[in-house]
Amino acid sequence: MDTIQFLMNGFAEALQWHNLVFAFVGVLIGTAVGVLPGIGPMSGVALLIPVTASLTAGQEPESAAASAIILLAGVYYGAMYGGSTTSILLNTPGESSSVVTALDGYQLARQGRAGSALAIAAIGSFVAGIVALVGLVALAQPLSAVALSFGPAEYFSLMLLGLCAVSGLAGKSMTKALLMTVLGLLLATIGIDSVSGVARFTYGIPVLYSGLEFLTIAVGLFALGEVFKTILERENGGGTIAKVGRILPTRQDLKDSGGPILRGSILGFFIGILPGAGATLASFFSYIMEKKISKHPKKFGHGAIEGVAAPESANNGASGGALIPLLTLGIPGSGTTAILMGALIMYNVQPGPLLFTDHPTIAWGLIASMFIGNLMLLVLNMPLVKVFAKIIDTPAKYLLPIIIAISIFGVYAVQYTTFDLLLLIGCGVVGYFLSKHDFPIAPLVLAIVLGPMIETNMRRALTISNGDFMIFLQKPVSVLFLAIAMLWMVVPLLLKSRGKNVIVSEEA
Amino acid sequence: MSKTFSRIVSIALFVLGAAFLMESGRISESAYGSNVGPNLFPMGLGILLMLLCVRLFYETFRYPKEEGEPSVKLDYKRFLMILGAALLYAMLLQPLGYLITTFAFLTFSFQVMEKGKLWKSLAIAAAFAFGVYFLFVGVLEGSLPGLPVWFR
Repeated sequence: MDTIQFLMNGFAEALQWHNLVFAFVGVLIGTAVGVLPGIGPMSGVALLIPVTASLTAGQEPESAAASAIILLAGVYYGAMYGGSTTSILLNTPGESSSVVTALDGYQLARQGRAGSALAIAAIGSFVAGIVALVGLVALAQPLSAVALSFGPAEYFSLMLLGLCAVSGLAGKSMTKALLMTVLGLLLATIGIDSVSGVARFTYGIPVLYSGLEFLTIAVGLFALGEVFKTILERENGGGTIAKVGRILPTRQDLKDSGGPILRGSILGFFIGILPGAGATLASFFSYIMEKKISKHPKKFGHGAIEGVAAPESANNGASGGALIPLLTLGIPGSGTTAILMGALIMYNVQPGPLLFTDHPTIAWGLIASMFIGNLMLLVLNMPLVKVFAKIIDTPAKYLLPIIIAISIFGVYAVQYTTFDLLLLIGCGVVGYFLSKHDFPIAPLVLAIVLGPMIETNMRRALTISNGDFMIFLQKPVSVLFLAIAMLWMVVPLLLKSRGKNVIVSEEA
Repeated sequence: MSKTFSRIVSIALFVLGAAFLMESGRISESAYGSNVGPNLFPMGLGILLMLLCVRLFYETFRYPKEEGEPSVKLDYKRFLMILGAALLYAMLLQPLGYLITTFAFLTFSFQVMEKGKLWKSLAIAAAFAFGVYFLFVGVLEGSLPGLPVWFR
């Protein structure tokens, strides 16, 4: 019964007028971010952290954190929805989890059924959002109760598992992903050591004492990296936008997509919980599953409504599922959740098992706001889909320099140093070249967020054991996590060496 | 996959790893109340980074031969102009203030992206610079240098 009571309190928080506005602004900007080619959910969320920080500046710390995370999560799942619009209308996915949607969505648009496809995508996303919400409510308390029994050794191994899972699936080369992870962990050691108070790698430079700011690096690598890519490669969108046409889906469309939406939502949710396996994999798997169980598999790729319903519900289900390890264990399973975690830490809120007892307003407020946000998305997108489709027409000439200006404003408004601005631009250049050559960026950002916690837990565990590393193998739960981490790394390598295709998550 | 780029990265990060390894040797070894000092973690990571770099360098020999895929012609001129403008923007933001630098950066970048429609560029740049400043400083009561120090 406690859970219901907490959820009701969460709704009381989420239904406050300012939080309704935050949720609305979040899903609105999120949808726009998803629609605009060039900014994905990760860069969208990263860009908005400083903006939300200033928006919530006048509130109490607890309520400011709740409002900020409500807005940022809105951007996250709004972007998941928005990505489908360009997939369907332009055959250009706004973000990588909508790649599969383009296969059938664009075919439907060419047949003059873009409106139905967009509507089914909206309905699918809504249902998935609700399924994820129910899953979150059911699993949040028990999981955080289990996590509360973890000691530092178990936590260290769990975080290592999170890092291995993301690195194991990210990008085409595992070596490159691991390299990025270790680099992130190393960068995270710069600054004052939180345990001993010793300054590390600072060389007397004052700006380095507080360490490299996660926000600066994330905005630089993701947002500016993408902008530089578009400028250098002259990707200005192009293509012709299909007409939206009739928006309401037919009865047959609804009948055909009911099953795929439900299956996609549940599958997506469970894939989302797994660290490393992001929304892209979820949409991919659900598409394959629907094709396999369909009576007319040949329809797929030629404009099957199921081919839009399943992946769109799966990617939204996955974004809800990905919040579970973040909120209950404090382990972000993807790039975007790592950025959300960074935002929470900025507000002095530590995600993890204690979140639900220490900050119930934030945890349950967020969960309740997801229900409201999804409802807003549905109501907003059905009539406004034509308006959103127009966003695609925004000329790159104005959009790209404005994104650079927003990044610079955002970082400066939080950090107030020229050093951070230069670091931001540097990260943008590095981010472009790294991602161009298949060095995945998400593991680096994840490592920067998790680095300090991994180190603290490792040192706590080693202090308990008098410096004996065997402590990580003596605790059964810790061994289990380490074993899974090992498998996560070794299995894809084995599969690859046997010549099998290993699916990688490019979105992370 | 570019062989050369991967090799450059592996060498650069190897050097970085070695630097972290050496420098962590200079951090005091023990911390009060703990057997494990602040040097252990970066030291281990430095070694790991170096090992991974060796592995990546080795892997580059096994890369499939680079095919003559139609390489995208990169627009370096436009990129370098905008990058230069962004660097100037970042460095001049504090001394010149937000309004002037943002307006100048945007107008210049709009024109670099696509020449012409100067009035429209000026209007959008001004609307953005003043709009953001008004919202942030006027409405949200944030702090941002508006105009140059000598002007205020």
